[in-house]
Amino acid sequence: MAPISIRLDRVSKRFDHTVKGEVYAVRDVSLAVSEGELLTLLGPSGCGKSTTLRMIAGFEEPDAGTISIDGKDVTHVLPNKRGIGFVFQNYALFPHLTVFENVAYGLRVQGRDEAAITKAVGEVLELVGLTNYGQQQPHQLSGGEQQRVALARAVVFQPKVLLFDEPLSNLDAKLRVEMREQIRSLQKRIGITTVYVTHDQEEAMAISDRIAVMERGAVVQDGTAHELYYRPATEFVARFIGRTNLVNARVVSADDVEVEGARIGLASGLAAGATVQLVVRPEMIELTPAGAGQAGAGVIAQRTFLGEKTDYQVTLGSATLQVSATDHYRKAPLEVGQPVAVRFHPEGIHVLKQLLI
Amino acid sequence: MRSQASSEWRRVARDPALLGAIVVLWALLALFVIFPLVHLLDRAFVDEGRFTLTPLLDSLADASHRAAFFNSLILATAVGGLGTALGFLFALTAVRGGLGRHWLTFLDAAALLPLVSPPFTTSISIIFTFGPKGFITHDLLGFANVSPYGFWTTTLAETLTYFPIAYLTLRPILAAIDPTMEEMAFSLGASRWRIFHTVTVPLAVPGFANAFLLLFAASLADFATPLILAGNAFPVLPTQAFLQITGLFDFKGGAVLSLILLVPAAAVFLLQRYWVGRRTYVTVTGKVGQRSRTRTLAPWTGVALVAGCSFVAAVIVYFYALLLYASLVVAFGANNNFTWHHYQVIFTEGLPAIRDTLIIAAIGMPLGGLYGVLVGYLIARKRFPGRRAMELVAMINYALPGTIVGISYLIAFNDPPLALTGGAMIIVACYVFRYSPTGIRATVALLQQIDRSIEEASSSLGAGSGETFRRVTLPLIAPAFFAGLGVVFIRSMTAISATIFLVSISWTLITVRILENMTELSLGPAAAFSVFVIVVVFVVVAGLSAVLARLRAPAAGAAARSFLGG
Repeated sequence: MAPISIRLDRVSKRFDHTVKGEVYAVRDVSLAVSEGELLTLLGPSGCGKSTTLRMIAGFEEPDAGTISIDGKDVTHVLPNKRGIGFVFQNYALFPHLTVFENVAYGLRVQGRDEAAITKAVGEVLELVGLTNYGQQQPHQLSGGEQQRVALARAVVFQPKVLLFDEPLSNLDAKLRVEMREQIRSLQKRIGITTVYVTHDQEEAMAISDRIAVMERGAVVQDGTAHELYYRPATEFVARFIGRTNLVNARVVSADDVEVEGARIGLASGLAAGATVQLVVRPEMIELTPAGAGQAGAGVIAQRTFLGEKTDYQVTLGSATLQVSATDHYRKAPLEVGQPVAVRFHPEGIHVLKQLLI
Repeated sequence: MRSQASSEWRRVARDPALLGAIVVLWALLALFVIFPLVHLLDRAFVDEGRFTLTPLLDSLADASHRAAFFNSLILATAVGGLGTALGFLFALTAVRGGLGRHWLTFLDAAALLPLVSPPFTTSISIIFTFGPKGFITHDLLGFANVSPYGFWTTTLAETLTYFPIAYLTLRPILAAIDPTMEEMAFSLGASRWRIFHTVTVPLAVPGFANAFLLLFAASLADFATPLILAGNAFPVLPTQAFLQITGLFDFKGGAVLSLILLVPAAAVFLLQRYWVGRRTYVTVTGKVGQRSRTRTLAPWTGVALVAGCSFVAAVIVYFYALLLYASLVVAFGANNNFTWHHYQVIFTEGLPAIRDTLIIAAIGMPLGGLYGVLVGYLIARKRFPGRRAMELVAMINYALPGTIVGISYLIAFNDPPLALTGGAMIIVACYVFRYSPTGIRATVALLQQIDRSIEEASSSLGAGSGETFRRVTLPLIAPAFFAGLGVVFIRSMTAISATIFLVSISWTLITVRILENMTELSLGPAAAFSVFVIVVVFVVVAGLSAVLARLRAPAAGAAARSFLGG
């Protein structure tokens, strides 16, 4: 396990809201980021992820708690003394400076000599594929190019930590995918500890070593993309990451639960008769044509063909299930109104909580 | 809230450049804004260590002082009303008249000329026109011994001098009224006149109120025009306070009179800031299409508007032409032979005044420009305890009538340990703290358009707040800096109301020399001085405009306009 690079210990931040009075933007957040790791703060807008990032950078100061970088307490250290590279959502390029001077800025502040600056800026511009852009003005560049200048500017002075605040949200969808791969490969190549903020769960899953999901100022779950998807800690996480069915089931025996008459071979560890809430991803349900009135049978309510898969909405008793079929090219499509047998694959199903009914 | 303030303190304390700037600025504001005001109040209300209202009551008991008070209010009301009407005429013509670009430029230039001129120019021209040897009264109408002094000429001069403020206030408001609103009324069957008084005018009402108050305040504070034109029959407060001090050496009486002036001035300022300032129906975006503008104006109305504006513009141009002519003839009205004599006079006898004025303007300009952007930057961008207070205190000398500022400086800096009167330094300080608020406001407006993340980026790259200001913020707010320079320079060349109390044998000003020339009835040199000032101001403003145009910043245009309107 690599040593911890960034540590947040019970960090809180309040703001004065004109209507609501004092509100917590961030409440009791504790996080640890290992050296060379890329951690993403993921959550809907207003969940406190950007405020958390800005506190790591030093733009905001926590009202409580401590932040340390490489074992040093930086809670009250000004941003310019932290040695952190920051990539802004709007890029924040200096409009009065050329691309070269934008990238050279941090080095000039450090008072490096001209030869060293030219060399370092040249290298990093090459790294982001902008070798011949040095004399351009920022406004002459496309959004993706500006983003790469911002990235070059943030890494050229070899900061200990790199922070990204929704860096891709101003780009179009295709460029977003391209840029996130570039960012990830650059981050791995220079092995820099990184915290990345986004509200896009797909982006988070694609880019991160680890994801911390935030809701209303608090971290609700912190784990790998795999863990968040298959073992969400709360209903919020289950709904926020991917598509999901939250299904109530009754524990029949130690090894079995039942959903609307359909048996699932799932060891819940609970006594028979308990009611549980399950997280069932759409691709973990298999549909097969069935005769009408068969036990555990549902009815197709809606069908959407999406090319790589077909989505169904199935009514099963009182529940409505989202189902994704990726093997649809092998079978005849199921028709709306058709009765279907619903089979759950127990391996991917997660017991979220016991319901006290 | 307390935790927030203390965390602000901690943050400021760790940032030496920020802390230093705040401490220095507060020290300067305390010395040049608060200290003189406290002295003025002390002089007016404290006698032998005890609070007293006797001087105030004595002053109010004096019939001529009461007359001056009411005269000031009457004059200000007249100028406010007439100036707003004239400004509206110009604004309506500019926005709806369907004029070509050249016509608009001409109207703009004629309207803005009075704002950048020395304060006596209109007064001098009025004397040349309506005086005993006046062009109209004497030459055309053949009257003998007409007096050009009194309420009407003062009102005329002040209206022509200050109506551009109303024009600049009303024009964006009229321009921002969505034409579709009027077209809607048109399509509902309303006549053009009905649309005008049920849609257009009501939408512009907040603008009228604002323009009226601005003109009211300008007239109330105006010192130069009534000094020349009002005469003995029509005393007003600023001139009475001046005469009390320079004629009778009664500092206490002058202080009390200037404070009486403060009451209506403060009332107007508060009304304007907290009542009218927040009532606008339209937001100014500057993005209004020109389409179908003239259709809501009947053709003959358009002609009448243009004719009215052209007449006013012609009067202004005539006044300036008259001034130029008077500076080039031996004795206007008596001997109209051409001569360079008056210019020889101002460049020999008058040279010390020219030199002093230029030196003071040259020192005040960079100081004022820097002070403006620094204060504007701090109040727009930094969080520190006392930020609001700093914003307010920085505006005080700008909002106060010049007479009050001048008298308070005179009283405060006349005795040790701060015996600064008589030097150039006190005049420079007066200009810097009185005229830099335009730069402050231009800076704040510009910074509101520049995302904060630009400065955060600099900070994350290792630059401290001082270095960020120098490397990033300053280049970006350069337009506001130059606008601030422009205003301080223009006012250093043209102002008199405050600084007339601060000139001395060793340091004097062109405007003061003009006044002396006027009282000695040597009108030729006065006209020559005025022409000189207008030319210098024009050259410097043109130079600064060229710089602003080269900066090509998005807000440069707005900033440039703000230093004419300020």
